[in-house]
Amino acid sequence: MSTQESIAKDGVDAETVDAVKTVGEKYKYGFATDIEMEYAPKGVNEDIVRLISSKNEEPEWMLEWRLDAFRRWEKMTEPKWAMVNYPEIDFQDIYYYARPKSMIEKPKSLDDVDPKLLETYKKLGIPLSEQAILAGVEGAGDTPVEGRKVAVDAVFDSVSVGTTFKKELAAAGVIFCSISEAIKDHPELVKKYLGTVVPPTDNYYATLNSAVFSDGSFVYIPEGVKCPMELSTYFRINAENTGQFERTLIIAEKGAQVSYLEGCTAPMRDENQLHAAVVELIIQEDADIKYSTVQNWYPGDENGVGGIYNFVTKRADCRGDRAKVMWTQVETGSAVTWKYPSCILRGDDSQGEFYSIAITNNMQQADTGTKMIHLGKRTKSRIVSKGISAGKAQNTYRGLVSIHPKAVNSRNYTQCDSLLIGDKCGAHTVPYMECRNNSSRIEHEATTSKVDDEQLFYCRQRGMGEEEAVALIVNGFAKEVLQSLPMEFAMEAQKLVAISLEGSVG
Amino acid sequence: MFEIKNLKASLADEDKQILKGMNLKIGAGEVHAIMGPNGSGKSTMSYVASGKGGYVVDEGEVLLDGANLLDMEPDERAAAGLFLAFQYPVEIPGVGNMTFLRTAVNAQRKMRGEDELNAAQFLKIVREKAKALKIDADMLKRPVNVGFSGGEKKRNEILQMAMLEPKVCILDETDSGLDVDAMKLVAEGVNALRDGKRSFLVITHYQRLLDHIVPDVVHIMADGKIIKSGGPELALEVENNGYEGLMNEVV
Amino acid sequence: MGEVKRENLAEALLARHSAPRSGAGWALSARRAARDRVLALGAAGRRDEYWRYTNPAALNGAEAPDVEVLQLDETPVFDGVEKLLITFVDGVYRPDLSDDLQGENLEIMTLEEALEVDIHWASDLFGVFEARGQNPVPRPFAALNTAMAGQGVVIRANGKVTKPVALRYCRENRQSDVLLHHVIRVESGAELTVLENGAGGARLNTVMEVDVADGGSFHHLRAQGRDHTRLAITHIFARLGAEARFKSFTLTVNGQLTRNEVVLDIDGDDTKASVAGACLGDGDFLHDDTIFVTHDARDCESRQVFKKVLKNGATGVFQGKILVKADAQKTDGYQISQGLLLDDDSNFLAKPELEIYADDVACSHGSTCGAVDENSLFYLMSRGVPRKQAQNMMILAFLDEAIAEIENEELAEDIRTRLSGWAERHSA
Repeated sequence: MSTQESIAKDGVDAETVDAVKTVGEKYKYGFATDIEMEYAPKGVNEDIVRLISSKNEEPEWMLEWRLDAFRRWEKMTEPKWAMVNYPEIDFQDIYYYARPKSMIEKPKSLDDVDPKLLETYKKLGIPLSEQAILAGVEGAGDTPVEGRKVAVDAVFDSVSVGTTFKKELAAAGVIFCSISEAIKDHPELVKKYLGTVVPPTDNYYATLNSAVFSDGSFVYIPEGVKCPMELSTYFRINAENTGQFERTLIIAEKGAQVSYLEGCTAPMRDENQLHAAVVELIIQEDADIKYSTVQNWYPGDENGVGGIYNFVTKRADCRGDRAKVMWTQVETGSAVTWKYPSCILRGDDSQGEFYSIAITNNMQQADTGTKMIHLGKRTKSRIVSKGISAGKAQNTYRGLVSIHPKAVNSRNYTQCDSLLIGDKCGAHTVPYMECRNNSSRIEHEATTSKVDDEQLFYCRQRGMGEEEAVALIVNGFAKEVLQSLPMEFAMEAQKLVAISLEGSVG
Repeated sequence: MFEIKNLKASLADEDKQILKGMNLKIGAGEVHAIMGPNGSGKSTMSYVASGKGGYVVDEGEVLLDGANLLDMEPDERAAAGLFLAFQYPVEIPGVGNMTFLRTAVNAQRKMRGEDELNAAQFLKIVREKAKALKIDADMLKRPVNVGFSGGEKKRNEILQMAMLEPKVCILDETDSGLDVDAMKLVAEGVNALRDGKRSFLVITHYQRLLDHIVPDVVHIMADGKIIKSGGPELALEVENNGYEGLMNEVV
Repeated sequence: MGEVKRENLAEALLARHSAPRSGAGWALSARRAARDRVLALGAAGRRDEYWRYTNPAALNGAEAPDVEVLQLDETPVFDGVEKLLITFVDGVYRPDLSDDLQGENLEIMTLEEALEVDIHWASDLFGVFEARGQNPVPRPFAALNTAMAGQGVVIRANGKVTKPVALRYCRENRQSDVLLHHVIRVESGAELTVLENGAGGARLNTVMEVDVADGGSFHHLRAQGRDHTRLAITHIFARLGAEARFKSFTLTVNGQLTRNEVVLDIDGDDTKASVAGACLGDGDFLHDDTIFVTHDARDCESRQVFKKVLKNGATGVFQGKILVKADAQKTDGYQISQGLLLDDDSNFLAKPELEIYADDVACSHGSTCGAVDENSLFYLMSRGVPRKQAQNMMILAFLDEAIAEIENEELAEDIRTRLSGWAERHSA
């Protein structure tokens, strides 16, 4: 590729080029699976909403809920305040429902799942089998941790393909299944919590999601239970012209604990595809949820053709005292990202943390950040955001810290750093800080700089290629965030940093 | 002259008593040392005596010349003659060291009904005292403790002590983080202030400071109380055998 | 529906002032264009991104509030310095209370006079900088000012001007609704200091358009009046050439509502700019600094330093932006905004923004909010300083980083004295 040529031109030896090559692989999740699909007609209207509901064999109340949302959505307009530019989306030119034909009859167990689907996940590095090994992400295999298990829910276009370790989790009292199953099997829980954190009226994309979500994951950790293994959902968009609208609902009862991972990829396609998810977390007294995302949707090519529009609403509600939530995100993919995982710190002494790495290269645009709403006494929040911008990309941190009058003795610390690689990109910071009592303290620091020439030279002098050196420095820059990831994700993320920066120098 | 009577105190935020009936009596001109393991309540005692927030006094008295310090605001305690040399002197950006010193000196003089020092008088005294402690003009100009090294901070504490001329000085681990030379300099500063009337309470982990500031009495503190008192030899005993033996002996 | 209302409001804004009728052609057309801008922009509203923390209702209101005229027995700020004094009473130039409009290296006349001159250098600036400053953030009150203001001064510095030009804004009328518009040009290599002082009106709207040519140096120091319920909306639009120096500092004590907007365009290489402010608010007080600094040249430095001390329900707002364009390499941008809340009722709301398109830059911003640090307070008290005095020391220390931005030490000392006076008066 042009990158290698340009490096070679600079007189760097072949070894360096090789080193860079191994670090910087192309987007390798860009293959498509050739599989027979069943689609709903293109576009969205009440009939499509009814169709999705009936495909999922939903009860009447769920359909009504969706229709309500749809009617509201029709009256809403797309938000325009984010620092992102993209052509008008034709919401009637998208398939809102696509499922592999083999999934029409739901397989009884993973053994019955279409081998092509299993093969797809295998290729992505997600073995959908219940081996007692470290599954979930690639690169983890190098350092297996004895007996560590990760349960996976695999969502392929509009449906969940299967969920592993269900029985073992059930023995611990944990419910982990697709949300479509949860609506059927645990309607009382879904009814009680769905839409209570992100109401169907919340924002344009969340409202659309409420109307047309097709699947997603559901997790319920009962009182006092520490989830015996990490849970993860792997989202894959495969079909063309298809939007993915998944819905995730996680409930941690009093004293419960869970660590949840989420990964996303899509094939390389020339058209843009829409992904509008909603994630709701409910955290009761003394409960603790760790939610990690490695978002690696197809970002489009270097000219900005194709890629996913990633418009996501994620929110955690710390309802009980001492509830804790930690969002960690590594955002390397998508053509456009619009995403603000938030924490409502309602319970006294509750805590919210947000760690983010957002890397944009080529023509990518990201407008991402968080909201920390301090309502309870002595609530604490911490924000660490690292934005890296290369190529012609635009990267914006947007965040709100709001400390209400009654949230006495609360604390926020925000560190928000941007790194620019090359002079065609942009890095922006738009924080909002609202402090409404004096026993609380807000501290916000932000810096913008470029990769330090001396550091770069030092690395090069020690024999690193320029891209490798940049990747190394960027990994150092983002270290605080990488450290907050579960170990196996951290390794994946480090590699992703290198991959997504390919072509950013030279 | 300085007396702690059955002092019991807890952390305000937690229901946890740190001082559990501490007793101590220091006569005029005496130097006492308190040694004790981590968490025994040594620093808490110094904070409670000087009136730092975050502690609740459950019982007891801290008397200086018969007046109960516990009824006073921290600044009133200072004016009454109590000085605490902080283990971690606080950095105050924006407040010049000189301004700080002069404000403190004059506030205390005012509270005691004495005339305030004018700029010239003050400057003369500060320069003299600073010189003895090898504190240069630059250190006096900089904001309070900001950018000071560990040794500079401790010397600055001693300078304040010299300027404020207290009756009782509590030195909270003044030797921590200092090399031998810096410690000697600090100890000399303290010794220069021993005038036969002023009393000292030296809190330390190590015997080495006591080689330089020789105490009249050594107390061993554990679990919020003084468990043993003796002469300077007690410090040596601790140095050689640790606290373990002593604590067992008492129990 | 909302839009129609907005336009109506814009018309109402224009209707509440009477525009000067006469003027040279360029002046008339500049005013007309400004009038059109007001109508096109519409009035400021609560839903505007840059009015989310400050309610413009009182500024939009048909009439200025009835504000008691504050009688002070202390000497006015900057009284001690030698200066060229120009006095406005309720927004009207008073030659009887002013020095002669002349000085070494100085061309100076009233706005009224300048706008009558057919060929005048001010035609390149008047309404021009304001119009440019409307994008990307609309500033309808500034456009209103250009359209309607008949009073102000026009100053041109052709060399080093040793005596500061001091604009004193007095008030006698309890309900004066005042517009003042100043046009300033600092020529290449020239130096000028402008002082502003006083409430000026029950409702004061000022615009200052400043052009600092290559190598020019402009200092601005302002103390806004202490009248308790006065309203003020001010704008400074400045363009800075190469190797220029720009410094502006504002002290605000009291006043019910103050919104100070500064729009700086750094146009030439190797330029240094600083915008700073200290405000002290007790009770019904809202103070808003909205700053927009654009770097469009290499090797420039800009600083924004704002400190707000608030009590009894006072609100401090800071909205600051550093925009670094793609060609503005080696930019050094610094921004700090801090709120010190003396009690539990006060608010500090901040939006410090960075928008950066050049890679070889070092930009940083920090913002903090909280109470007086208890550890420092205890340290001071343990040395014998009474609580009240210790707290006042901490307040002054907190403000000092902003005061340190003032170039002239004598003026800075004057400001410090005022600040400690406030702290004394307001420490309960």
